Amino acid sequence: MQQPAPDPVLKSARREALCVLGIWLAALSYTVPYCYTHGYGRTLADLKFVWGFPDWIFWGIVVPWCTCVAISIWFGATFMRDEDLGEELPEQDDELGLGGG
Amino acid sequence: MELIPGMLLLGATTEKPSVGYGTLAVLVLFILGSVWIGMLANKAMQSTSFTKGFFLGNRGLGAWALALTATVQSGGTFMGFPSLVYTHGWAVALWICGYMVVPLTGFGVLGKRLARLSRQTGAITVPDLFRARFNSPALGLVSSLFIMFYMSFMMVAQFKAGALVMKLAWPGSGMLALTEDATGSLGPAYYIGLAIFTVTVVGYTLLGGFLAAVWTDIFQSVMMLIGVVLLLFLALNQAGGMEQATRTAAENTSADYVFGPGYDDPQVSPADPKDPGKRLAFDASRPRQFMPLGLVFSYFFVWVFAGLGSPAGMVRVMAGKSTEVIRKSIYLLSVYNLFIYLPLIVICICGRALIPELADKPDEIIPRIALLTTKDLTGGSLLAGLILAAPFGAVMATVSSYLVVIASGLVRDVYQRFVNPQAGTHELRRLSYIAMIAVAAIAVGANINPPRFLQAVVVFSGTGAASTFCVPALMLAFWRRATERGMIAGMLAGACTVLVLYAMGISGWGGEQRIGQFTGFRPYFLLQLEPLLWGLAASLIAGVTVSLCTTPPDEQLVSKLFDAERPLAAEPA
Repeated sequence: MQQPAPDPVLKSARREALCVLGIWLAALSYTVPYCYTHGYGRTLADLKFVWGFPDWIFWGIVVPWCTCVAISIWFGATFMRDEDLGEELPEQDDELGLGGG
Repeated sequence: MELIPGMLLLGATTEKPSVGYGTLAVLVLFILGSVWIGMLANKAMQSTSFTKGFFLGNRGLGAWALALTATVQSGGTFMGFPSLVYTHGWAVALWICGYMVVPLTGFGVLGKRLARLSRQTGAITVPDLFRARFNSPALGLVSSLFIMFYMSFMMVAQFKAGALVMKLAWPGSGMLALTEDATGSLGPAYYIGLAIFTVTVVGYTLLGGFLAAVWTDIFQSVMMLIGVVLLLFLALNQAGGMEQATRTAAENTSADYVFGPGYDDPQVSPADPKDPGKRLAFDASRPRQFMPLGLVFSYFFVWVFAGLGSPAGMVRVMAGKSTEVIRKSIYLLSVYNLFIYLPLIVICICGRALIPELADKPDEIIPRIALLTTKDLTGGSLLAGLILAAPFGAVMATVSSYLVVIASGLVRDVYQRFVNPQAGTHELRRLSYIAMIAVAAIAVGANINPPRFLQAVVVFSGTGAASTFCVPALMLAFWRRATERGMIAGMLAGACTVLVLYAMGISGWGGEQRIGQFTGFRPYFLLQLEPLLWGLAASLIAGVTVSLCTTPPDEQLVSKLFDAERPLAAEPA
């Protein structure tokens, strides 16, 4: 029996969703522990500033935020694939009988 | 008398802020610009089908439109969030930092799939999509009712914010805090502001529907960016740079202002009526932890899933023109958010250094700092108006898009589906207008005595909707075995979990936990985690379990939405 191939949009959407999930987990795994270990229980005496930001904010939030922007640009510009979304189903011509029209 | 940090500085800046007529003039121009855009949208919409044009913009959104309008900026962004930074300090960066991945998660996870499914089924609204994917009118109705419930909460809070910006721009009206313990009369300027705001936003949304909401959103988003960047330079200049601002703010408060879990400002707690020197709910020996570890972890989920499960965001993705538009939106929004949220934090830290006496009304910080930093500049009044247009634009954008979604829920998902499926274009148009006016009238009525919990309501609305819709939306998009009953169970479990935790918190069950934002509209943080996490877990368990325990969906229907149109060629032997 012939196995139907998955919808190409579904296939690429699944691949991209998994990649996004990985990026989100990586950002969480870095930012939360870093900020908790470097930004809690300190005093002003040992505070340093990097480009005007408290050091833990700069390395724990500003740097990963800028990194995520760079990754987003890469993701949107190169990783994510363009696909044909298909023809619009006419509003009064619900051929699937799904009630969408 | 108990010594309260910052009290020594009270009176340091006692001069009342004054607003010039230039500020009001800029806001009036901004309003006229929005109405003009609504009229253009009305013309553009006339050549298309009413429902598709009015509720979905005929699926014609480009990259800039999608990126700048699917955002979750609202009155909370420019009033609630700044007040938190002003009150608790740098730790609030942890509260918002999940936004670093929001453009990716918001468009990259569900965007392409929802856009495809909505075209395959002809769905115009989110409930349309749920109904069509499972061929279930009941599921469509349940999702529609939930959407209207959460959005109504958000709308009521936004009307107050809009009215207050108008009031602030009125020369001689003075300031008014949004904080919960703020006292004093609202005054006629508030009600005039409420009326002007309502007529404007309802007017242009009636004119142009979805397209008006989107086009004005773009205009308003650009104004927000200009306002924030201008204010950043002015505030940094006045405060002597970021490092100096941080040091001064810490001197005005304590070292906790620079580190986690954040500064516990006694003046955020209401004063004891019997002894004005004392603050109720403030205990110096056991300070409130704004961001304990559990909440730091939670907020990396909150904004990500609030964006992913936002019905207003989903419908915009469905309106995207192509996948090219969706992927371009990811990087456009990433850059945009970077220039909104990090600068807002810096501005408010500068605000604490420059205006230390706002501890009991921190919601005023953005307009106050705008007025302070522009008062000695040539044309400062006009500049202040330009900056104030940012929060006004955020509020108008939120209200207009929610008006469209709520009206579509009532007219398309309830009336057309269940009452009169044969309703003609003329009738649908008339009912859409009536629905929008009725919703706005209810929001105005609720704001005669406005709610006090702007930011808390924004968080509740976002996390409630996310708990209800995230898991079902993922199941709808990616899981063939998901069933109608599984979807309803997932929605109900997510929603009920969040509602129960909020009911426990508001009723004071288990006592004050002394974590997170100080507010009467607070949830119970089970194991110090935000209710959203429990809601998502409950929704996932219920959705998957019930789907697996019920009859599998019609394979023919699933195949049409999950499989390629042509079967694979047989493998060679």
